[in-house]
Amino acid sequence: MLALLDAWLIAPFDYGFMQRALVAGLALSLAAPPLGVFLMLRGMSLIGDAMAHAILPGVALGFLAAGFSLPMMSLGGILSGLLIAVLAGSVSQMTGHKEDSAMASFFLISLAAGVMLVSLGGSSVDLTHVLFGSILAVDPTALVLIAGISSLIVIILAVIFRTLVVECLDPLFLRGQGVRGGLVHGIFLGLVVLNLTAGFQTLGTLMAVGLMMLPATTARFWSQRLEGLIAIAIAIALVASTGGLLISYHLSLPSGPAIILLAGAGYLLSALFGRHHSLAARLRRRAMPLGTAEHH
Amino acid sequence: MARLQLHDLQLARGGQTILEHLDGRFMDGAITALIGANGAGKSTLISAIMGMLSPVAGRVECRVTRERRAWLPQQLALDLTFPMSVEELIMTGTWPSHGALKGYCGPHYRRGREIMARLGISNLAHRPLGELSGGQRQRALLGRTLMQDAELLLLDEPFANVDTETVDVLMDVLRDMAKHGATIIVVLHDMEQLARLADEALLLAGGHGRWVKPDVLLDHHSGLVPRAPRLPLTFPDAPHAGTA
Repeated sequence: MLALLDAWLIAPFDYGFMQRALVAGLALSLAAPPLGVFLMLRGMSLIGDAMAHAILPGVALGFLAAGFSLPMMSLGGILSGLLIAVLAGSVSQMTGHKEDSAMASFFLISLAAGVMLVSLGGSSVDLTHVLFGSILAVDPTALVLIAGISSLIVIILAVIFRTLVVECLDPLFLRGQGVRGGLVHGIFLGLVVLNLTAGFQTLGTLMAVGLMMLPATTARFWSQRLEGLIAIAIAIALVASTGGLLISYHLSLPSGPAIILLAGAGYLLSALFGRHHSLAARLRRRAMPLGTAEHH
Repeated sequence: MARLQLHDLQLARGGQTILEHLDGRFMDGAITALIGANGAGKSTLISAIMGMLSPVAGRVECRVTRERRAWLPQQLALDLTFPMSVEELIMTGTWPSHGALKGYCGPHYRRGREIMARLGISNLAHRPLGELSGGQRQRALLGRTLMQDAELLLLDEPFANVDTETVDVLMDVLRDMAKHGATIIVVLHDMEQLARLADEALLLAGGHGRWVKPDVLLDHHSGLVPRAPRLPLTFPDAPHAGTA
Protein backbone atom coordinates (compact mmCIF):
# COMPACT_ATOMS: atom_id res chain seq x y z
CA MET A 1 0.00 0.00 0.00
CA LEU A 2 2.70 2.43 1.03
CA ALA A 3 4.72 1.42 -1.99
CA LEU A 4 1.76 2.15 -4.21
CA LEU A 5 1.23 5.59 -2.67
CA ASP A 6 4.90 6.26 -3.08
CA ALA A 7 4.77 5.28 -6.74
CA TRP A 8 1.72 7.45 -7.34
CA LEU A 9 2.44 10.54 -5.31
CA ILE A 10 6.14 10.76 -4.44
CA ALA A 11 8.17 8.96 -7.08
CA PRO A 12 7.18 11.25 -9.99
CA PHE A 13 8.91 14.08 -8.20
CA ASP A 14 12.26 12.33 -8.34
CA TYR A 15 12.69 13.93 -11.73
CA GLY A 16 14.19 17.40 -11.81
CA PHE A 17 11.65 18.73 -14.31
CA MET A 18 8.77 17.52 -12.13
CA GLN A 19 10.31 19.14 -9.05
CA ARG A 20 10.65 22.46 -10.82
CA ALA A 21 7.14 22.19 -12.22
CA LEU A 22 5.82 21.49 -8.73
CA VAL A 23 7.60 24.45 -7.15
CA ALA A 24 6.45 26.75 -9.97
CA GLY A 25 2.87 25.54 -9.60
CA LEU A 26 2.90 25.98 -5.82
CA ALA A 27 4.38 29.48 -6.08
CA LEU A 28 1.67 30.52 -8.54
CA SER A 29 -0.96 28.91 -6.34
CA LEU A 30 0.00 31.19 -3.46
CA ALA A 31 -0.08 34.40 -5.50
CA ALA A 32 -2.88 33.98 -8.03
CA PRO A 33 -5.98 32.99 -5.98
CA PRO A 34 -6.08 36.07 -3.70
CA LEU A 35 -6.05 38.28 -6.80
CA GLY A 36 -8.84 36.15 -8.24
CA VAL A 37 -10.90 36.59 -5.07
CA PHE A 38 -10.68 40.37 -5.31
CA LEU A 39 -11.46 40.35 -9.05
CA MET A 40 -14.51 38.18 -8.36
CA LEU A 41 -15.74 40.34 -5.48
CA ARG A 42 -15.48 43.45 -7.64
CA GLY A 43 -17.51 41.82 -10.41
CA MET A 44 -14.45 41.80 -12.67
CA SER A 45 -14.07 38.06 -13.13
CA LEU A 46 -13.60 38.40 -16.88
CA ILE A 47 -10.97 41.14 -16.64
CA GLY A 48 -8.32 38.51 -15.91
CA ASP A 49 -9.15 36.85 -19.19
CA ALA A 50 -8.97 40.12 -21.04
CA MET A 51 -5.63 40.96 -19.42
CA ALA A 52 -4.26 37.58 -20.49
CA HIS A 53 -4.82 38.58 -24.11
CA ALA A 54 -3.25 41.95 -23.47
CA ILE A 55 0.13 40.54 -22.46
CA LEU A 56 0.40 38.46 -25.63
CA PRO A 57 1.83 41.07 -28.06
CA GLY A 58 4.55 41.97 -25.55
CA VAL A 59 5.43 38.33 -25.01
CA ALA A 60 5.61 37.87 -28.79
CA LEU A 61 7.85 40.91 -29.22
CA GLY A 62 10.15 39.63 -26.48
CA PHE A 63 10.22 36.30 -28.28
CA LEU A 64 11.08 37.95 -31.60
CA ALA A 65 13.81 40.07 -30.04
CA ALA A 66 15.56 37.49 -27.90
CA GLY A 67 14.21 34.08 -28.80
CA PHE A 68 12.97 31.83 -26.05
CA SER A 69 14.17 33.99 -23.17
CA LEU A 70 11.69 34.03 -20.33
CA PRO A 71 12.92 37.30 -18.74
CA MET A 72 12.59 39.16 -22.05
CA MET A 73 9.19 37.68 -22.80
CA SER A 74 7.97 38.46 -19.28
CA LEU A 75 9.20 42.03 -19.49
CA GLY A 76 7.41 42.45 -22.82
CA GLY A 77 4.26 40.93 -21.37
CA ILE A 78 4.24 43.21 -18.33
CA LEU A 79 4.78 46.30 -20.45
CA SER A 80 2.11 45.51 -23.03
CA GLY A 81 -0.39 44.42 -20.34
CA LEU A 82 0.03 47.68 -18.45
CA LEU A 83 0.01 49.75 -21.64
CA ILE A 84 -3.22 48.23 -22.85
CA ALA A 85 -4.92 48.56 -19.45
CA VAL A 86 -4.03 52.27 -19.45
CA LEU A 87 -5.09 52.68 -23.10
CA ALA A 88 -8.45 51.00 -22.49
CA GLY A 89 -8.99 53.18 -19.42
CA SER A 90 -8.22 56.40 -21.25
CA VAL A 91 -10.26 55.57 -24.35
CA SER A 92 -13.30 54.84 -22.19
CA GLN A 93 -12.73 58.07 -20.26
CA MET A 94 -12.32 60.07 -23.46
CA THR A 95 -15.32 58.63 -25.31
CA GLY A 96 -17.59 58.05 -22.35
CA HIS A 97 -18.10 54.45 -23.48
CA LYS A 98 -18.18 51.81 -20.78
CA GLU A 99 -14.74 50.54 -19.83
CA ASP A 100 -15.53 46.93 -20.69
CA SER A 101 -16.30 47.73 -24.32
CA ALA A 102 -12.98 49.57 -24.69
CA MET A 103 -11.19 46.71 -22.97
CA ALA A 104 -12.86 44.09 -25.16
CA SER A 105 -11.77 45.95 -28.28
CA PHE A 106 -8.17 46.33 -27.15
CA PHE A 107 -7.85 42.76 -26.00
CA LEU A 108 -9.10 41.35 -29.28
CA ILE A 109 -6.65 43.57 -31.14
CA SER A 110 -3.83 42.39 -28.87
CA LEU A 111 -4.69 38.74 -29.31
CA ALA A 112 -4.58 39.06 -33.10
CA ALA A 113 -1.40 41.15 -32.99
CA GLY A 114 0.26 38.68 -30.65
CA VAL A 115 -0.57 35.64 -32.77
CA MET A 116 0.57 37.48 -35.89
CA LEU A 117 3.89 38.46 -34.27
CA VAL A 118 4.65 34.96 -33.04
CA SER A 119 3.88 33.46 -36.43
CA LEU A 120 6.22 35.97 -38.10
CA GLY A 121 9.17 34.79 -36.11
CA GLY A 122 8.59 31.15 -35.35
CA SER A 123 6.81 27.93 -36.01
CA SER A 124 3.40 26.80 -34.80
CA VAL A 125 5.15 24.89 -32.01
CA ASP A 126 6.34 28.19 -30.55
CA LEU A 127 2.85 29.59 -30.84
CA THR A 128 1.42 26.63 -28.95
CA HIS A 129 4.03 27.09 -26.28
CA VAL A 130 3.19 30.77 -25.75
CA LEU A 131 -0.55 30.23 -25.85
CA PHE A 132 -0.72 27.11 -23.74
CA GLY A 133 2.60 26.98 -21.88
CA SER A 134 4.55 23.99 -20.79
CA ILE A 135 5.07 23.62 -17.10
CA LEU A 136 7.35 20.64 -17.60
CA ALA A 137 9.85 22.81 -19.47
CA VAL A 138 10.45 25.23 -16.59
CA ASP A 139 14.20 25.73 -16.28
CA PRO A 140 15.98 27.06 -13.17
CA THR A 141 16.03 30.65 -14.49
CA ALA A 142 12.31 30.53 -15.16
CA LEU A 143 11.73 29.06 -11.73
CA VAL A 144 13.59 31.90 -10.02
CA LEU A 145 11.58 34.40 -12.05
CA ILE A 146 8.25 32.76 -11.24
CA ALA A 147 9.05 32.44 -7.53
CA GLY A 148 10.35 36.01 -7.44
CA ILE A 149 7.28 37.49 -9.10
CA SER A 150 4.93 35.42 -6.91
CA SER A 151 6.69 36.58 -3.74
CA LEU A 152 6.54 40.18 -4.91
CA ILE A 153 2.81 39.86 -5.56
CA VAL A 154 2.14 38.38 -2.11
CA ILE A 155 4.16 41.12 -0.40
CA ILE A 156 2.57 44.02 -2.31
CA LEU A 157 -0.89 42.56 -1.80
CA ALA A 158 -0.25 42.36 1.95
CA VAL A 159 0.81 46.01 1.97
CA ILE A 160 -2.26 47.29 0.08
CA PHE A 161 -4.67 44.74 1.59
CA ARG A 162 -6.58 47.00 3.98
CA THR A 163 -6.74 49.82 1.47
CA LEU A 164 -8.02 47.47 -1.21
CA VAL A 165 -10.70 46.07 1.10
CA VAL A 166 -11.95 49.52 2.09
CA GLU A 167 -11.82 50.66 -1.53
CA CYS A 168 -13.97 47.72 -2.61
CA LEU A 169 -16.53 48.29 0.14
CA ASP A 170 -16.75 52.06 0.35
CA PRO A 171 -14.61 54.08 -2.08
CA LEU A 172 -16.13 57.30 -0.80
CA PHE A 173 -14.83 56.71 2.73
CA LEU A 174 -11.33 56.13 1.40
CA ARG A 175 -11.53 59.30 -0.67
CA GLY A 176 -12.63 61.18 2.44
CA GLN A 177 -9.48 59.94 4.16
CA GLY A 178 -7.39 61.45 1.38
CA VAL A 179 -6.40 58.18 -0.28
CA ARG A 180 -6.65 58.01 -4.06
CA GLY A 181 -8.72 54.93 -4.78
CA GLY A 182 -7.72 54.92 -8.45
CA LEU A 183 -4.10 54.44 -7.47
CA VAL A 184 -4.91 51.37 -5.38
CA HIS A 185 -7.00 49.99 -8.22
CA GLY A 186 -4.14 50.59 -10.67
CA ILE A 187 -1.62 48.82 -8.44
CA PHE A 188 -4.01 45.91 -8.11
CA LEU A 189 -4.43 45.60 -11.89
CA GLY A 190 -0.64 45.78 -12.17
CA LEU A 191 -0.41 42.78 -9.84
CA VAL A 192 -2.87 40.88 -12.04
CA VAL A 193 -0.69 41.56 -15.09
CA LEU A 194 2.45 40.52 -13.16
CA ASN A 195 0.81 37.30 -12.09
CA LEU A 196 -0.31 36.42 -15.60
CA THR A 197 3.20 37.06 -16.88
CA ALA A 198 4.60 34.71 -14.26
CA GLY A 199 1.97 32.15 -15.18
CA PHE A 200 2.31 32.06 -18.93
CA GLN A 201 5.49 29.99 -18.95
CA THR A 202 3.80 27.23 -17.02
CA LEU A 203 0.19 27.40 -18.14
CA GLY A 204 0.27 29.63 -21.18
CA THR A 205 -1.11 33.16 -21.47
CA LEU A 206 -4.68 31.99 -21.79
CA MET A 207 -4.80 29.32 -19.11
CA ALA A 208 -2.86 31.26 -16.48
CA VAL A 209 -6.18 32.95 -15.73
CA GLY A 210 -7.61 29.60 -14.73
CA LEU A 211 -5.44 29.26 -11.67
CA MET A 212 -6.50 32.76 -10.66
CA MET A 213 -10.27 32.63 -11.19
CA LEU A 214 -11.38 29.02 -10.73
CA PRO A 215 -10.15 28.63 -7.12
CA ALA A 216 -11.73 31.98 -6.27
CA THR A 217 -15.12 31.20 -7.79
CA THR A 218 -15.03 27.75 -6.16
CA ALA A 219 -14.24 29.19 -2.73
CA ARG A 220 -17.42 31.24 -2.90
CA PHE A 221 -19.41 28.04 -2.39
CA TRP A 222 -17.56 27.35 0.86
CA SER A 223 -17.06 30.63 2.68
CA GLN A 224 -18.68 34.02 3.09
CA ARG A 225 -15.73 35.69 4.80
CA LEU A 226 -12.87 37.34 2.99
CA GLU A 227 -10.14 35.48 4.91
CA GLY A 228 -12.01 32.22 4.38
CA LEU A 229 -12.38 32.86 0.66
CA ILE A 230 -8.68 33.57 0.25
CA ALA A 231 -7.53 30.60 2.36
CA ILE A 232 -9.85 28.15 0.60
CA ALA A 233 -8.96 29.49 -2.84
CA ILE A 234 -5.23 29.04 -2.11
CA ALA A 235 -5.82 25.50 -0.80
CA ILE A 236 -7.78 24.59 -3.92
CA ALA A 237 -5.07 25.99 -6.18
CA LEU A 238 -2.35 24.08 -4.30
CA VAL A 239 -4.26 20.81 -4.61
CA ALA A 240 -5.15 21.43 -8.26
CA SER A 241 -1.62 22.23 -9.36
CA THR A 242 -0.07 19.26 -7.51
CA GLY A 243 -2.86 16.88 -8.53
CA GLY A 244 -2.87 18.12 -12.12
CA LEU A 245 0.86 17.50 -12.43
CA LEU A 246 0.48 13.96 -11.11
CA ILE A 247 -2.41 13.20 -13.43
CA SER A 248 -0.51 14.53 -16.41
CA TYR A 249 2.53 12.44 -15.41
CA HIS A 250 0.67 9.17 -14.95
CA LEU A 251 -1.73 9.47 -17.87
CA SER A 252 0.65 11.26 -20.25
CA LEU A 253 -1.69 14.24 -20.57
CA PRO A 254 -0.68 17.87 -21.14
CA SER A 255 0.01 19.38 -17.72
CA GLY A 256 -1.59 22.85 -18.07
CA PRO A 257 -5.06 21.63 -19.05
CA ALA A 258 -4.84 18.86 -16.44
CA ILE A 259 -4.28 21.44 -13.68
CA ILE A 260 -7.06 23.74 -14.83
CA LEU A 261 -9.49 20.91 -15.47
CA LEU A 262 -8.87 19.56 -11.98
CA ALA A 263 -9.69 23.02 -10.56
CA GLY A 264 -12.72 23.07 -12.87
CA ALA A 265 -13.92 19.74 -11.48
CA GLY A 266 -13.63 21.26 -8.02
CA TYR A 267 -15.79 24.16 -9.16
CA LEU A 268 -18.53 21.92 -10.55
CA LEU A 269 -18.57 19.70 -7.46
CA SER A 270 -18.76 22.77 -5.22
CA ALA A 271 -21.61 24.20 -7.26
CA LEU A 272 -23.48 21.00 -6.52
CA PHE A 273 -22.50 20.28 -2.93
CA GLY A 274 -20.92 23.46 -1.45
CA ARG A 275 -22.03 25.05 1.82
CA HIS A 276 -23.39 28.30 0.40
CA HIS A 277 -25.55 28.98 -2.67
CA SER A 278 -24.95 25.50 -4.10
CA LEU A 279 -27.69 23.24 -5.35
CA ALA A 280 -27.50 21.14 -2.19
CA ALA A 281 -27.64 24.23 0.03
CA ARG A 282 -30.71 25.42 -1.82
CA LEU A 283 -32.45 22.10 -1.29
CA ARG A 284 -31.45 22.09 2.38
CA ARG A 285 -32.87 25.55 2.84
CA ARG A 286 -36.14 24.59 1.24
CA ALA A 287 -36.41 21.62 3.59
CA MET A 288 -35.76 23.73 6.67
CA PRO A 289 -38.89 24.42 8.75
CA LEU A 290 -39.90 28.01 9.38
CA GLY A 291 -38.21 29.72 12.30
CA THR A 292 -34.92 27.84 12.22
CA ALA A 293 -32.17 30.31 11.62
CA GLU A 294 -29.54 29.43 9.09
CA HIS A 295 -26.07 29.49 10.61
CA HIS A 296 -23.13 30.98 8.86
CA MET B 1 -16.25 79.09 17.67
CA ALA B 2 -16.93 77.68 14.26
CA ARG B 3 -14.56 75.27 12.57
CA LEU B 4 -16.63 75.38 9.44
CA GLN B 5 -17.52 78.62 7.68
CA LEU B 6 -18.81 79.52 4.26
CA HIS B 7 -17.64 82.72 2.62
CA ASP B 8 -19.73 84.05 -0.28
CA LEU B 9 -19.74 80.57 -1.73
CA GLN B 10 -20.79 79.86 -5.31
CA LEU B 11 -21.12 76.27 -6.46
CA ALA B 12 -21.81 74.85 -9.91
CA ARG B 13 -22.35 71.46 -11.43
CA GLY B 14 -21.86 70.87 -15.15
CA GLY B 15 -21.47 74.59 -15.82
CA GLN B 16 -24.76 75.44 -14.13
CA THR B 17 -24.77 77.46 -10.95
CA ILE B 18 -26.55 75.59 -8.16
CA LEU B 19 -25.92 77.85 -5.19
CA GLU B 20 -24.58 81.38 -4.83
CA HIS B 21 -23.78 83.99 -2.20
CA LEU B 22 -23.82 81.44 0.53
CA ASP B 23 -22.43 82.75 3.82
CA GLY B 24 -22.47 81.59 7.37
CA ARG B 25 -20.94 79.46 10.06
CA PHE B 26 -21.80 76.02 11.33
CA MET B 27 -21.45 76.20 15.11
CA ASP B 28 -19.23 73.70 16.92
CA GLY B 29 -21.16 71.36 19.15
CA ALA B 30 -24.40 72.07 17.31
CA ILE B 31 -26.53 70.06 14.96
CA THR B 32 -27.47 71.95 11.80
CA ALA B 33 -30.25 70.67 9.59
CA LEU B 34 -29.86 71.16 5.86
CA ILE B 35 -33.24 71.36 4.20
CA GLY B 36 -34.58 72.06 0.76
CA ALA B 37 -36.36 70.41 -2.11
CA ASN B 38 -34.74 67.85 -4.37
CA GLY B 39 -32.22 69.63 -6.56
CA ALA B 40 -31.92 72.60 -4.21
CA GLY B 41 -28.20 71.88 -3.80
CA LYS B 42 -27.93 69.93 -0.54
CA SER B 43 -25.67 67.23 -1.96
CA THR B 44 -23.68 69.82 -3.88
CA LEU B 45 -23.02 71.75 -0.69
CA ILE B 46 -22.00 68.57 1.12
CA SER B 47 -19.56 67.68 -1.67
CA ALA B 48 -18.04 71.14 -1.40
CA ILE B 49 -17.69 70.87 2.38
CA MET B 50 -16.04 67.46 2.00
CA GLY B 51 -13.58 69.06 -0.40
CA MET B 52 -14.69 66.99 -3.36
CA LEU B 53 -16.07 69.91 -5.36
CA SER B 54 -14.17 73.14 -5.89
CA PRO B 55 -16.20 76.33 -5.54
CA VAL B 56 -16.63 78.63 -8.55
CA ALA B 57 -16.25 81.60 -6.24
CA GLY B 58 -15.89 82.19 -2.52
CA ARG B 59 -14.57 79.47 -0.24
CA VAL B 60 -15.27 76.88 2.37
CA GLU B 61 -13.14 77.46 5.44
CA CYS B 62 -12.81 74.19 7.30
CA ARG B 63 -10.45 73.78 10.20
CA VAL B 64 -11.01 70.07 10.58
CA THR B 65 -8.36 67.74 9.20
CA ARG B 66 -9.48 65.49 6.38
CA GLU B 67 -9.32 62.37 8.54
CA ARG B 68 -11.70 63.79 11.14
CA ARG B 69 -14.41 64.58 8.61
CA ALA B 70 -16.98 61.88 8.14
CA TRP B 71 -19.67 61.60 5.53
CA LEU B 72 -22.57 59.19 5.76
CA PRO B 73 -24.05 59.20 2.28
CA GLN B 74 -27.36 57.61 1.47
CA GLN B 75 -27.01 53.90 1.88
CA LEU B 76 -26.73 52.92 -1.76
CA ALA B 77 -23.08 53.94 -1.90
CA LEU B 78 -21.89 50.76 -0.18
CA ASP B 79 -21.08 47.51 -1.96
CA LEU B 80 -23.06 45.23 0.32
CA THR B 81 -22.07 42.05 -1.46
CA PHE B 82 -18.53 42.50 -0.20
CA PRO B 83 -17.91 40.02 2.61
CA MET B 84 -17.29 42.21 5.64
CA SER B 85 -18.69 41.95 9.15
CA VAL B 86 -20.09 44.75 11.29
CA GLU B 87 -17.04 44.66 13.57
CA GLU B 88 -14.65 44.84 10.62
CA LEU B 89 -16.53 47.83 9.23
CA ILE B 90 -16.35 49.66 12.54
CA MET B 91 -12.64 48.89 12.87
CA THR B 92 -11.95 50.59 9.53
CA GLY B 93 -12.91 53.78 11.37
CA THR B 94 -9.42 53.63 12.92
CA TRP B 95 -8.01 54.79 9.57
CA PRO B 96 -6.94 58.26 10.83
CA SER B 97 -4.67 56.71 13.47
CA HIS B 98 -3.82 53.39 11.83
CA GLY B 99 -3.80 54.01 8.09
CA ALA B 100 -3.25 51.12 5.74
CA LEU B 101 -0.66 49.16 7.68
CA LYS B 102 -0.73 49.50 11.47
CA GLY B 103 -2.25 46.51 13.24
CA TYR B 104 -5.23 46.87 15.58
CA CYS B 105 -4.52 46.07 19.22
CA GLY B 106 -6.51 45.27 22.35
CA PRO B 107 -7.65 48.75 23.33
CA HIS B 108 -8.97 49.45 19.83
CA TYR B 109 -10.98 46.24 19.75
CA ARG B 110 -12.32 47.14 23.21
CA ARG B 111 -13.30 50.56 21.92
CA GLY B 112 -15.02 48.91 18.96
CA ARG B 113 -17.02 46.68 21.30
CA GLU B 114 -18.02 49.65 23.45
CA ILE B 115 -19.26 51.48 20.38
CA MET B 116 -21.26 48.46 19.24
CA ALA B 117 -22.78 48.13 22.71
CA ARG B 118 -23.77 51.78 22.71
CA LEU B 119 -25.46 51.42 19.35
CA GLY B 120 -27.16 48.20 20.43
CA ILE B 121 -25.51 46.05 17.76
CA SER B 122 -23.17 43.91 19.90
CA ASN B 123 -25.04 40.79 18.87
CA LEU B 124 -24.44 41.59 15.22
CA ALA B 125 -20.63 41.95 15.48
CA HIS B 126 -19.85 39.05 13.17
CA ARG B 127 -22.85 39.37 10.88
CA PRO B 128 -22.03 40.20 7.22
CA LEU B 129 -23.15 43.69 6.20
CA GLY B 130 -25.30 42.28 3.41
CA GLU B 131 -27.58 40.59 5.94
CA LEU B 132 -28.38 43.70 7.98
CA SER B 133 -31.61 45.65 7.89
CA GLY B 134 -31.49 49.30 6.88
CA GLY B 135 -31.54 50.41 10.51
CA GLN B 136 -28.83 48.00 11.62
CA ARG B 137 -26.63 49.10 8.74
CA GLN B 138 -27.09 52.74 9.62
CA ARG B 139 -26.08 52.01 13.24
CA ALA B 140 -22.96 50.20 12.01
CA LEU B 141 -22.02 53.13 9.78
CA LEU B 142 -22.47 55.61 12.60
CA GLY B 143 -20.27 53.28 14.65
CA ARG B 144 -17.50 53.76 12.14
CA THR B 145 -17.69 57.55 12.45
CA LEU B 146 -17.55 57.20 16.25
CA MET B 147 -14.41 55.09 15.84
CA GLN B 148 -13.05 57.81 13.60
CA ASP B 149 -13.54 60.43 16.36
CA ALA B 150 -15.16 62.59 13.73
CA GLU B 151 -15.13 66.32 14.49
CA LEU B 152 -17.23 67.13 11.46
CA LEU B 153 -20.02 64.78 10.55
CA LEU B 154 -22.26 65.08 7.50
CA LEU B 155 -25.27 62.81 7.21
CA ASP B 156 -27.47 62.54 4.14
CA GLU B 157 -30.99 61.56 5.20
CA PRO B 158 -29.77 59.20 7.89
CA PHE B 159 -33.27 58.28 9.03
CA ALA B 160 -34.71 57.22 5.68
CA ASN B 161 -35.90 53.61 5.71
CA VAL B 162 -34.91 53.22 9.34
CA ASP B 163 -37.09 51.86 12.16
CA THR B 164 -38.19 54.26 14.92
CA GLU B 165 -36.09 52.55 17.59
CA THR B 166 -32.99 53.07 15.48
CA VAL B 167 -33.97 56.70 14.91
CA ASP B 168 -34.03 57.18 18.71
CA VAL B 169 -30.65 55.50 19.17
CA LEU B 170 -29.05 57.46 16.31
CA MET B 171 -30.45 60.76 17.57
CA ASP B 172 -29.14 60.05 21.09
CA VAL B 173 -25.69 59.30 19.77
CA LEU B 174 -25.66 62.36 17.52
CA ARG B 175 -26.75 64.59 20.44
CA ASP B 176 -23.96 63.10 22.50
CA MET B 177 -21.38 63.68 19.80
CA ALA B 178 -22.51 67.30 19.51
CA LYS B 179 -22.26 67.68 23.29
CA HIS B 180 -18.63 66.62 23.00
CA GLY B 181 -18.01 69.37 20.50
CA ALA B 182 -18.57 67.77 17.10
CA THR B 183 -20.02 69.85 14.28
CA ILE B 184 -22.90 67.92 12.78
CA ILE B 185 -24.81 68.61 9.57
CA VAL B 186 -27.86 66.54 8.72
CA VAL B 187 -29.90 66.56 5.54
CA LEU B 188 -33.50 66.14 6.66
CA HIS B 189 -36.90 66.04 5.05
CA ASP B 190 -39.00 65.23 8.06
CA MET B 191 -40.02 68.34 10.02
CA GLU B 192 -40.74 66.37 13.15
CA GLN B 193 -37.25 64.92 13.17
CA LEU B 194 -35.91 68.40 12.53
CA ALA B 195 -37.76 69.73 15.55
CA ARG B 196 -36.37 66.95 17.73
CA LEU B 197 -32.78 67.07 16.57
CA ALA B 198 -31.63 70.34 15.08
CA ASP B 199 -30.25 73.40 16.85
CA GLU B 200 -30.11 75.38 13.64
CA ALA B 201 -31.31 75.02 10.10
CA LEU B 202 -29.98 76.10 6.73
CA LEU B 203 -32.71 76.33 4.13
CA LEU B 204 -31.70 76.00 0.50
CA ALA B 205 -34.06 77.17 -2.24
CA GLY B 206 -33.79 79.00 -5.54
CA GLY B 207 -30.01 78.95 -5.47
CA HIS B 208 -29.77 80.74 -2.15
CA GLY B 209 -29.48 79.74 1.44
CA ARG B 210 -30.98 81.17 4.59
CA TRP B 211 -30.19 80.42 8.21
CA VAL B 212 -33.15 79.98 10.52
CA LYS B 213 -33.89 78.65 13.96
CA PRO B 214 -35.78 75.39 13.69
CA ASP B 215 -38.73 76.75 15.66
CA VAL B 216 -39.38 79.23 12.84
CA LEU B 217 -40.30 76.24 10.76
CA LEU B 218 -42.83 75.09 13.34
CA ASP B 219 -46.32 76.37 13.78
CA HIS B 220 -45.99 79.16 16.35
CA HIS B 221 -49.56 79.15 17.53
CA SER B 222 -49.52 75.59 18.70
CA GLY B 223 -45.76 75.02 18.93
CA LEU B 224 -46.38 71.90 16.93
CA VAL B 225 -45.06 70.75 13.65
CA PRO B 226 -47.19 72.03 10.77
CA ARG B 227 -49.19 69.12 9.52
CA ALA B 228 -48.04 69.30 5.94
CA PRO B 229 -44.77 71.20 5.60
CA ARG B 230 -44.47 72.26 2.00
CA LEU B 231 -41.16 72.19 0.23
CA PRO B 232 -39.64 74.05 -1.46
CA LEU B 233 -40.09 76.64 1.21
CA THR B 234 -40.37 80.19 -0.01
CA PHE B 235 -38.58 82.76 2.04
CA PRO B 236 -40.72 85.45 3.62
CA ASP B 237 -39.10 88.90 3.70
CA ALA B 238 -38.44 88.58 7.37
CA PRO B 239 -37.94 85.24 9.05
CA HIS B 240 -40.88 85.82 11.40
CA ALA B 241 -43.32 87.31 8.92
CA GLY B 242 -45.26 84.12 8.56
CA THR B 243 -45.82 83.67 12.26
CA ALA B 244 -47.87 86.76 13.03
